[in-house]
Amino acid sequence: MTTPGVPNRPVLAVRWRAAATLAATSLVGLVAFLWPFLAQPGSGLSHNADAPWLFVLLIALLAALVVAELSDGGLDAKTVAVLGVLAAAGGALRVLGAGTAGLEPMFFLLVVAGRVLGRGVGFVLGALAVLVGAFLTGGVGPWAPFQMIAAGWVGFGAGCLPRAGGRTERAILAGYGLVVGLIFGLLMNLWFWPFLASGAPAGMGFVPGDAVSANLSRYGTFYLATSLGWDLPRGVLTAVLVMVAGRPVLASLRRGTRRAAFGASGTFVEGHGTGRG
Amino acid sequence: MTLAIHDYRLPRLLHPVAWWAWAIGLAMAANRTTNPLLLALIAVVAAYVVAARRELGAASPFGAFLRLGLLAITLRVVFQVLLGGGTPGRTVLFTLPEIPLPSGSSGVRLGGPVTLEGVLAAAYEGARLAAVLACIGAANTLASPRRLLRYVPATLYEVGTALVVALTYAPQLVDDARRVRVARRLRGHGGRGIRELARLAVPVLDSALERSLNLAASMESRGYGRSVHRDARSRRQATALTLAGLSGVIAGVYGLLDGSPAPLLGLPLLIVGSVAATASLAVGARRDPRSRYRPDPWATPEWLVLGCGAAAGVLVLIAAQRGVPGMVVQTSPAQWPILPWLPALGVLLALVPAWLSPLPPLRAIGPLGGLQGGLQDVGATS
Repeated sequence: MTTPGVPNRPVLAVRWRAAATLAATSLVGLVAFLWPFLAQPGSGLSHNADAPWLFVLLIALLAALVVAELSDGGLDAKTVAVLGVLAAAGGALRVLGAGTAGLEPMFFLLVVAGRVLGRGVGFVLGALAVLVGAFLTGGVGPWAPFQMIAAGWVGFGAGCLPRAGGRTERAILAGYGLVVGLIFGLLMNLWFWPFLASGAPAGMGFVPGDAVSANLSRYGTFYLATSLGWDLPRGVLTAVLVMVAGRPVLASLRRGTRRAAFGASGTFVEGHGTGRG
Repeated sequence: MTLAIHDYRLPRLLHPVAWWAWAIGLAMAANRTTNPLLLALIAVVAAYVVAARRELGAASPFGAFLRLGLLAITLRVVFQVLLGGGTPGRTVLFTLPEIPLPSGSSGVRLGGPVTLEGVLAAAYEGARLAAVLACIGAANTLASPRRLLRYVPATLYEVGTALVVALTYAPQLVDDARRVRVARRLRGHGGRGIRELARLAVPVLDSALERSLNLAASMESRGYGRSVHRDARSRRQATALTLAGLSGVIAGVYGLLDGSPAPLLGLPLLIVGSVAATASLAVGARRDPRSRYRPDPWATPEWLVLGCGAAAGVLVLIAAQRGVPGMVVQTSPAQWPILPWLPALGVLLALVPAWLSPLPPLRAIGPLGGLQGGLQDVGATS
């Protein structure tokens, strides 16, 4: 233990069933994002306008399943309350971010909280924060399931980072935030990219049934032309926030979790009562 | 009295699941066509039902979804005009000055001739997405997704509670942040930027965590902490169903992606897997002893609304399968779109809930405070 205050036991242990569900969901989730590159030329998906919607439903179902497995029996009142409050903060930050042209300070919270509270809570928190943001802005759209899974991965990954302390820890988290900001955009574009289909600009659209390399290069052009300008500032913002505010916020979260004493169970000792009730 | 809930004239909030199912049916219809007349009809139907059955005073994100849809159309057309597109066309509307790009930029061009065919194809594609978004916006307005939260299966009960806690506390957090900011300003620490945001974060986060522990204590003292024992059998069943369902989903997705194997592998496996996975959520919840506070009834009006949405989806689907002319408007050469009658009839069926579904309570009372419509009749018959 290099960092004092980190609980030895994770707040939400990832048991084998949850791990299996998460692995399967991540696999299907990756396919749901990457299917434009994976679909074979003659397959049922490549010429089907419903394929993106199919994955929207599938991912919504799987996200519910993972969250159910992760939380199965492991959420006591304290965890529920802390998760709720942190998800509220994440959702509020997301609403705030929507006002400032896609700069999402929510990722800062996900990275830091996933780091402190562990990967199980990190995943659930990521998914919940996105959902809270969607509820607060009043719009649960087809993008919500994809964002839930992707934000869950962000929190999960932050919980999996190697242990370190002090400045090293912040550097790791900042680097992770930068990378995650970029990858999140890279993946999230993919859910609507096939929708553009023939309407996409020449040389940037998804051509069903074309070779993988050709589609990849077209997507690369599309990403550079439209998305990098949003994703890079988001990643940089997360990294800067971790460097500037990481120390006090990490300390505050650790203080909170120590005071909450997750996983502590009360014991009743007989014969020590004072008799005054 | 038991009959009254079957009467559409009794003002009440319709079951949220019914509105969402209706909207999904309509969205399915929209996704099957690029005919701008049909898509406009779908958007108008959604808008009319929203106008007729929206609860007064509730948040209405419908406008935001419509604007998002318009943005989708505009972006699509602007991209098409500036960068060209995959649709070949001969009718040149005008020609933009073309900026030569270095060779090897994989077919990307800037400027150049703008064709009618390309612009039309882009606009139709955008309109399809806009119509789907209008349907989802209608669902969000007619039945707030927060009300759907009450129908999460009991396996998701804890997470649902966390979500309710989050939605309750989010406005308070914003208040907290504002208060801390005012306090800092009063001490002369004004300023903006990231450093200020960081200083703001700690007191807000501290008080939020403090509050969450208080909440946890009060939840425990009210019996929330009671663990619900699920018997080993239903848990084993749920696990088996989850794993089987996930395997089915993975195999099904693989079958869909891969072109070669028997068509048996793809969609059917995926559907079976999804059903098994959904069933695992239900099986895990079966033994849940918690009762629901004031559940929304599911009665005839709900079936009617659901049926209307499903009918719209199915009729358009059938028309698309049969290749009814007018479902996909030809853009090269450009043709004037015609309104195919069968799908149009289906879409119009989705308009029925604008009359034959219960009025929301506040709307029934009306702005004048007097009861409108047939509430008195219902009272007399029940």
